[in-house]
Amino acid sequence: MSKKKNAEAYQKTFAFRFFRWLSGEKDPYTGTLEMHPQKEYQPDREAALRHEKEHDAIMDKVYDTEHNRWLHLFHRLYQTTSVLFCLFLIALLLVTVSYLPANGTVTRPVNNEVSARYIEKGLEETGAVNIVAGMILDYRAFDTLGESHVLFVATITVLILLRLNKTEKDEAEVSDRRFEPKNDAILQVVATFLVPVIIIFGIYIILNGHLGPGGGFSGGAVIGAGLVLYLNAFGFQKTERFFTEKTYKWVCFFSLSFYCLAKSYSFYTGANHLHSVIPKGTPGAILSSGLILPLNIAVGLVVACTIYAFYAMFRKGGF
Amino acid sequence: MSAVEWIRLIIGCLFILVGMVIFFTELFGVFHFNYVLNRMHAAAMGDTLGISACLIGLMIFSGLNFTTLKMFLIIVFLWFASPVSSHVLSRLEAATNDNLSSHCEIYEDVETLERELAAARKDSDTEKKEASVS
Repeated sequence: MSKKKNAEAYQKTFAFRFFRWLSGEKDPYTGTLEMHPQKEYQPDREAALRHEKEHDAIMDKVYDTEHNRWLHLFHRLYQTTSVLFCLFLIALLLVTVSYLPANGTVTRPVNNEVSARYIEKGLEETGAVNIVAGMILDYRAFDTLGESHVLFVATITVLILLRLNKTEKDEAEVSDRRFEPKNDAILQVVATFLVPVIIIFGIYIILNGHLGPGGGFSGGAVIGAGLVLYLNAFGFQKTERFFTEKTYKWVCFFSLSFYCLAKSYSFYTGANHLHSVIPKGTPGAILSSGLILPLNIAVGLVVACTIYAFYAMFRKGGF
Repeated sequence: MSAVEWIRLIIGCLFILVGMVIFFTELFGVFHFNYVLNRMHAAAMGDTLGISACLIGLMIFSGLNFTTLKMFLIIVFLWFASPVSSHVLSRLEAATNDNLSSHCEIYEDVETLERELAAARKDSDTEKKEASVS
């Protein structure tokens, strides 16, 4: 026989609190934990109006459309052309979709022989023991080239957004010296022998990309993390000795252009049924699988530099 | 299974269980404490002791091979990385929190702290001596 409780006694039980938590009526941690909740966004009417006015003034000054009839016409033409182009693109894509094979037919992309070919002939054709590396850096190398360029373009965009002029740069230097944890003895001692280990491990991942799990992207991320740790421990004076904005530009330029040229060569020979001079090597050896190892190194350099550049730019607005 | 394998299984399971208990304590502490430094203290425990107990259990299962060496290196890496990152984070908290004194005692310079510690040590020493005399 169950005991009946009144409402007040029931509210003190564990079951009541548990079911209240389960239904989400009250979170027991709100108010007790040290948290600072975000303030609700409230639009500032005056600032919005001011920005609008500034925008209009800039537009009037730069594009003086009332006095420049040609510019006015060009704007009109630009708008109509962009709308028409979008409509054309939508129509084109819809027509293409209508030609796709119906669900359940033999010619569906799911039933094609591409994946079987990757598994059966991947080792023979690319020379890479790691099928994934053979896929992303040989069969689909164009896609990987695009990914590397996305990283490069992202860095350039952040560089444009966070660009500082001379006085701001000096201010950033001062505030960086004041606020960032520097000369932390514990961090420096640990970094002196952890950073080389991290960077060697990253190099191992890159060089081992065609033999096992790994490759340019993951190895580059590890090397970038090691560089960020070094920067955190010793500050910009030490890293500037081997890594400046110039280094970043040249490393990215050479890696990406090497990637472009190497893959252009292999696409050219492949499309024209020519014999490529790059040897495949014996599968399993470190110097094998043709272009995959150099391409991995190029991708790894770009990724490592990008991670370091992002950290440096968000911390100080530059290198 | 031979007796040696049974012993290995039991010891490995014990280590993993100890690791799980430490992880549970860590999780409880992270949600139990209110102040960030206390919670960080709880969280750093799981990253060092909990993960190393679990990995030692797995090392005993795996036996003497290359995988064991890799797991040992993971333990070494974590024992360096986790305390140092906690240290840097707590330094940042101490540097940026304005009402730090409401959470813990603050000493203006290290000498005051050392003097108080020495006095406390002397007190405990004399107590011990008195206890041994009586």
